[in-house]
Amino acid sequence: MKPSLPDQPPALSAKQLRYGYGEQIAIDGISFALNNGSLTALVGPNGAGKSTLLHLLQGRLRLTSGAVQCNGSIALMPQKAAIDWSFPITVQQMVKLGQPSRQASTPHQCVDSLLEQVGMNGMGSRRLNQLSGGQQQRVLLARALMQNASVLLLDEPCSAIDPPTRAHLLKVMRQQADRGQTLLVSSHDWGKALDSYDRVLVINKQLVANGTPSEVRSTITDMDGMMGDCCA
Amino acid sequence: MIAVPDFDFWWGLPLLISLLVGSLCPAAGSLLITQRRILLANLMAHSVLPGLVLALAFELDPSLGGLISGLIGALIAEQLTQRFRGREEGAMNTVLAGFTALGVLLVPLLQARVDLESILFGDILASGTPDLIRTAISAIALVLLLIGRYQDLVFIGVDPEGALAAKHPVRQIRFITIVVTALVVISAITAVGIVLVIGLLCAPVLIHVERSTSLKSLMLKSAGTGLLLCGGGMMLAVLGDLPPGPLIGVLCMALLILRRP
Repeated sequence: MKPSLPDQPPALSAKQLRYGYGEQIAIDGISFALNNGSLTALVGPNGAGKSTLLHLLQGRLRLTSGAVQCNGSIALMPQKAAIDWSFPITVQQMVKLGQPSRQASTPHQCVDSLLEQVGMNGMGSRRLNQLSGGQQQRVLLARALMQNASVLLLDEPCSAIDPPTRAHLLKVMRQQADRGQTLLVSSHDWGKALDSYDRVLVINKQLVANGTPSEVRSTITDMDGMMGDCCA
Repeated sequence: MIAVPDFDFWWGLPLLISLLVGSLCPAAGSLLITQRRILLANLMAHSVLPGLVLALAFELDPSLGGLISGLIGALIAEQLTQRFRGREEGAMNTVLAGFTALGVLLVPLLQARVDLESILFGDILASGTPDLIRTAISAIALVLLLIGRYQDLVFIGVDPEGALAAKHPVRQIRFITIVVTALVVISAITAVGIVLVIGLLCAPVLIHVERSTSLKSLMLKSAGTGLLLCGGGMMLAVLGDLPPGPLIGVLCMALLILRRP
């Protein structure tokens, strides 16, 4: 696990983020910073604002107030539901969509090595609708990695997949963090996997806890009623 | 001297136009079905009616009137779908019915000399060079869209939110797609009419969409099937002395029913 380096400038910092839909407040004054090369979990119950927060960080949604500072680029791996899996496209073409638009072309080896990294080697010519739920998550991760962004936000990458696939995705995320990429991963279903992260942010519209997994676990025990079993 | 056989080839131009329309409509339909906007295409097909009637009444180019009217219909539908989120289909079908009704009303109101039946159901045998020019223009527009924005169309189809976040010009491309669709629909009116064009936009695409591995291959396969449908329908119509538009519409449905799952 990576120790935090307080003297190093953070890869991403969020200051007093606020956002609302009409009169309803979705994000209320959340502030935090992500260290370079860290793997951070974003935890909270359903409707806590995890997806909204990720969309605000990437700029897909406009903040009501507050600021996001990032020295490099930010990529977002969306939830599976955001993709039309029946679209006529192969795995290889889907991963290529992740390449930044300024980049002229993508070498085949690059796509192949990303597919190998996520455990999808030899499946580049398959159509998206022929993949299982876990394979679809792997393709989305490969496409996100293709963007080569300094900060990678992942929205529920481990939802509805089997434990081995979940473990593999976690391993890939750890590898990316070790290579210097900063990752923020949301989920409402954690289990024992929480201990694999460097830090954990717990939100429920507001920031509830921010610390190492063991620090946060002690806080969650104190607030059992509010969080339910999301960190069980 | 070699004797030239005396062929009565009066249906040569209508056949050529129907073949072009037969390949163009499914190619455009591929874009709309993969972007889940086929209802908008049907709405636009019906929305061209008031513009066509107005243009014909004032002796203007009917395709221009139809294009403007179709775009106004699409614009109104977009506005209403924003207002009726979650009930978009109801709003769009109401606009579709409203524009069709307006077109029908304008005929007696303007005392326009318009053959409403041929606009609604097509009259390919009466087509001429202006129809061929219209079809050629819509074909060029579609090809230019594909050459310039193919990758964007793929991205928008598979992940519209992601395309927006990646700074792809989603709104502009959607608008251009609507304009190209309007042009294709107008060019298809003489062949199948505004009521039946939706069959040609959808059926050949639905046959191939689940087995194609790219948007390009889907468009090509669908265009080939549409070409066969229109060519076959046209020939059967000539042989059986039947109206080609409705015959092509029935063939489109039969193709879907007979397709193996």
